[in-house]
Amino acid sequence: MSRDKHLPLTETVYYILLSLLEPAHGYLIMKKVEDLSKGEIKMAAGTLYGAIENLLKLKLIEPVHSPDKRRKIYLITQTGRVVLQQDFERIQHMVQLTEKAFTER
Amino acid sequence: MKKFRFFLDIDKEEKWLNTMAKQGYIFIGKLVRYHFRPAQTETSTIKIDYRSFKNQVDYQDYRTLFEDSGWKHIAGSKNSGVQYFERIDENASKDIFSDISSKAGRYKRLSEMYLTLALPLTFALILSPVKFSTLLHPMSWYLTPGLWEKAGISFWWSFLFETPFVLLRNLSWVILIPIASFFLIKSMRARMQYRKMRNSTKHS
Repeated sequence: MSRDKHLPLTETVYYILLSLLEPAHGYLIMKKVEDLSKGEIKMAAGTLYGAIENLLKLKLIEPVHSPDKRRKIYLITQTGRVVLQQDFERIQHMVQLTEKAFTER
Repeated sequence: MKKFRFFLDIDKEEKWLNTMAKQGYIFIGKLVRYHFRPAQTETSTIKIDYRSFKNQVDYQDYRTLFEDSGWKHIAGSKNSGVQYFERIDENASKDIFSDISSKAGRYKRLSEMYLTLALPLTFALILSPVKFSTLLHPMSWYLTPGLWEKAGISFWWSFLFETPFVLLRNLSWVILIPIASFFLIKSMRARMQYRKMRNSTKHS
């Protein structure tokens, strides 16, 4: 199986996609990423805006209807889900291998 | 307070606005001049992003994201490119970029903008009927018959008389070449800053 060209995802992109399994606007994504990473990843506005722009271009996320005129709301796409799933499996494989290696020694 | 300044380098502009802020003058907007308001707290930070937008919805969304995260949009418009932000929340991030590659992205967008300014001018110059060889021989710009054989008052009179016409005829060259080269140089410089910054992330 040839691996998707977007893989592996960066830690930040992984968390953004994970948080967009539910619709969210920019600032909410920022807060979710911070929470999911236990406060490790604090994205600044300019950086998050660029990341969203890039994910939209790659069609991994899409804008959905927003009742708030000042904030656009985004959601992961089907392609985004597939990519996230594949990266999850990649990480899971690494985790299992590492666990096994550590318990054997 | 109002001050007139002209910047071609957004890093220098940013630095100057922050020096003004430290002296207690907070940048609040720009028409022709930079407008400042006096402030008691000297902890304000000004940062400049470079972005243009396709529509109002995107532009509004962009400004709201910054404001939500503690950075107030103080100047700029949909198509102005330069966007000025002031840090208004002490819990806000120290910068508007939290990684080097996105900070480098600002230079990439700046470089692309200068290139879009330079390209039409460059094409106009290439396609214009004036030949490059004529350009290198300014004497051939003068059309008065026998001008260069004349001498003394007669020469100077004819020479000075024709000079304004020569300049007008070659205006496109005289003005366009410096402007186009300027934009090209700015574009290349921004591109180099972008590359340099982006590469520095690979080694860290």
